[in-house]
Amino acid sequence: MAGLTIDFTDERLPNGLRLVIAEDHVAPVVAVNIWYAVGSKHEVPGKTGFAHLFEHVMFQGSAHVTKAEHIGLIQAVGGTMNGTTWLDRTNYFETVPSHQLELVLWLEADRMGTLLEALSQENLDNQREVVKNEKRWSYDNRPYGSWNQRLLAGVYPPEHPYHHPTIGSMEDLDAASLDDVSSFFRTHYAPNNAVLSIVGDVDPAQARAWVERYFGTIPANPALPVDIGDLSLPPILGAEVRETVVEAVPLPRIYWGFRAPVFGDHRLDALDLAGQILAGGKGSRLHRRLVRDERLAQDVSLFSLGLVGGASVTAGWATARPGVDLARLEEAYWEELQRLADEPPTEDELARAKALTEADELGSLQRVEERADRLSMYATLFDDPGVVNEMLPRYLSVTADQVQEACRAVFRADNRYVLTYLPAEVPAEVPPEVPAGDHAADAAAAIA
Amino acid sequence: MTSRDESVSSLERPQPGVPRPYTFPSFERSRLDNGLSVISVDLPARPLLAGVLIVLGGAGDDPESEAGATVLMARALSEGTDTYDAIEFVEATERLGASLHAEAGWDALSVSVDVPAERFPAALDLVAEVMARPTFPASDVERLRDERLNDLLQARADPRRRAEEAFIETIYASSSPYRHSAAGTRETVEGLGSDETRRALARRFDPASMTLIVGGELGGLDVHALAVERFGSWTAHAHAGPATTVDAAPSSMERRVRVIHRPDAVQTEIRVGHPGLPRRIPDFHAVSVMSAILGGLFNSRLNRKLREEKGYTYGASAGFDLRRSAGPFAARAAVNTDVTVPAIVDMIAELEAIRTEAPTADELSAARDYLVGVFPLRFETPGAVVGALSGLVMQGLPDDELARYRGEIEAVDADAVLAAARAHVRPDEAAVVLVGDADAFMPALEAANLGPISVERDEA
Repeated sequence: MAGLTIDFTDERLPNGLRLVIAEDHVAPVVAVNIWYAVGSKHEVPGKTGFAHLFEHVMFQGSAHVTKAEHIGLIQAVGGTMNGTTWLDRTNYFETVPSHQLELVLWLEADRMGTLLEALSQENLDNQREVVKNEKRWSYDNRPYGSWNQRLLAGVYPPEHPYHHPTIGSMEDLDAASLDDVSSFFRTHYAPNNAVLSIVGDVDPAQARAWVERYFGTIPANPALPVDIGDLSLPPILGAEVRETVVEAVPLPRIYWGFRAPVFGDHRLDALDLAGQILAGGKGSRLHRRLVRDERLAQDVSLFSLGLVGGASVTAGWATARPGVDLARLEEAYWEELQRLADEPPTEDELARAKALTEADELGSLQRVEERADRLSMYATLFDDPGVVNEMLPRYLSVTADQVQEACRAVFRADNRYVLTYLPAEVPAEVPPEVPAGDHAADAAAAIA
Repeated sequence: MTSRDESVSSLERPQPGVPRPYTFPSFERSRLDNGLSVISVDLPARPLLAGVLIVLGGAGDDPESEAGATVLMARALSEGTDTYDAIEFVEATERLGASLHAEAGWDALSVSVDVPAERFPAALDLVAEVMARPTFPASDVERLRDERLNDLLQARADPRRRAEEAFIETIYASSSPYRHSAAGTRETVEGLGSDETRRALARRFDPASMTLIVGGELGGLDVHALAVERFGSWTAHAHAGPATTVDAAPSSMERRVRVIHRPDAVQTEIRVGHPGLPRRIPDFHAVSVMSAILGGLFNSRLNRKLREEKGYTYGASAGFDLRRSAGPFAARAAVNTDVTVPAIVDMIAELEAIRTEAPTADELSAARDYLVGVFPLRFETPGAVVGALSGLVMQGLPDDELARYRGEIEAVDADAVLAAARAHVRPDEAAVVLVGDADAFMPALEAANLGPISVERDEA
């Protein structure tokens, strides 16, 4: 299938705001996406989770927008929106019927320009509670919920900012103050730290005029970029790191973490294809062997998270079927990683992995929201939104030998973090108020 | 930094431009001699096609002792056919760059495929293959059955899945299959094997209850002819019958509280509700606007109260699961353990208020404008357009349902919203189901006097 080429313009306002516009008039919709080059890696000890808490505050109003009105206005015009925080960045995005584009630009400009005018202790306290409930919901009150914070801590050293997850700690969230919000905003939320992408049913000249009108007078922060030190890391851990957690999980599960080449390195593209060959669907090696043939696992997974600061992380897991010895599952999983490190994949396997990757890429890029996010991402991380058109050719150019080399460099015993979850022993007592029904029987079976 | 403030403040909030007209894409229908329907929708500039073969009737038709058979059958369809073993089959789809997915829900079985247009005919061969010639190897069906049993263990350990499971089991009568998941229970799944999956497919196999839907840039692709070549010779299985009407009776008309005790849980998962509505109802559009106001929008009454005012939760919502029969209506939130009882009280108060307090003009316009405005956004991709058409087919709705949608929503007024709430939201008949640390909230729960309370304890 012919590759899709995204045509775009790329320019900067005098205050440093980078503006990327891509026209597509297939549907009467337009996506707006802003990446701020600030993520949890900019947090300092004692302030973990702050970038994400701040993202919530961005929806609490600005000079001309009241609390929660931003979301209300977008939904009232039939739009969708959200904001997300990650290790390397924070993004905010809206997709709306195209005749509402000006409203979205005005809303984003109002909070980039005047957020602090609406800031209150009450709103900060409210969102602190919301975020703490997000942490309880996403991490603390969920089986295996601590895996990603443990994995980051295992793969990155304590002095590295990827060591801690974006959600942060309850103690640090409690300590966040209005002064922290103000100083974070003044430092990072400046036009010269942002990329604004507009994709879809848009008149570029009109959009440019609106962007200049609403964002043009917001002053740059001359102190940017913030120096967060040298994030470079040795390419491998150097020694195996192992951790075992005993808690209320129904089935044992093993997680793997490996240091991998940074996002943008061609070797990471090869690792993405390795992930497809090893765990991308029912035809993959791990699924065939562990789930289908040997029936050791309930599910398997392997993928890379591309990061720019020193090293990416390749992560995977497998959940043991009841009665399966976790050591045996670990050994079989490891053997499959080693097999791809020892010999290249067959041409047919690689071709299938590429066909699936191509379909995924084309499927994702059908949506204006995804295109806008990718343009902002590549502009922010690589200073080049045009990478959006290079990724698919890059994947398709990976050779079988490159897949093997990437696996050999990453899937090493001295580069692995291994986390196992084991079910806690639970006393078999049944409280008297439990009705004699199938619940108790099922629960007992879960432990056996 | 003060200049920041002046910069934007002089600029008025902009007014919207002129909307570009939008209509749901028009589609063409045809029918094969054996009764199989074909719907095609040409979407220019969408070279990745979406196709789905819908077979009416789903888990709702499983005999109760074989609950889960249809869902298991759908998972097992691609485990081998007369022509391919399972691995050959998956490799064949991957070579096309296609993803083929079979699944079953309460109302239908579907086999869907996303693939570039030029490879669509080859992908449709594979759809025909799994539907007409699956072998259901015993050992693979057994593996999939065991995976489902293990998934049930996982569901029991996960507070939100445990809450959903306990909620539906609480609100429906023992005669209703809706009291368990479409994928069945431990007791029923344990008894499933290849015979049950084969029977589940036979029950459904009638070309007259099948529809092929294809969307994307068709570029001259003759979908009807492709369907004739692949499906034209199919005939109904001797055991095929019409889809049955699912019993959706409530277990009780009284408010009651069921607590699943989890010592030391840091949050309580709350569900409040009762059996809701089927999809085919005269006041569907009023119900849609009403649920958006109650618990659909970010600024819905529930989310505004529990999240933005109180900070009790990361999100509170409410809605109807509309099926051929009455799926559940539930208000949902996961709240900090300390505030469990105040949160329940607030949720019930909002369920009362939606029945007594007419929506404000702002609430009404926000909900209507959202539903009308978001409509084109929902149909950006062929998969979404085909999905919407699948919904029409599965629910037996008229062809102009989607074209009429925006006008119908715009016509919903405050009286209609209030009437829909009074008719369909019944907090006095609701079950309150909690998964959390009962030790932390039992005294307050008893004092709140919400109805009879039962408490049980899970061991994991």
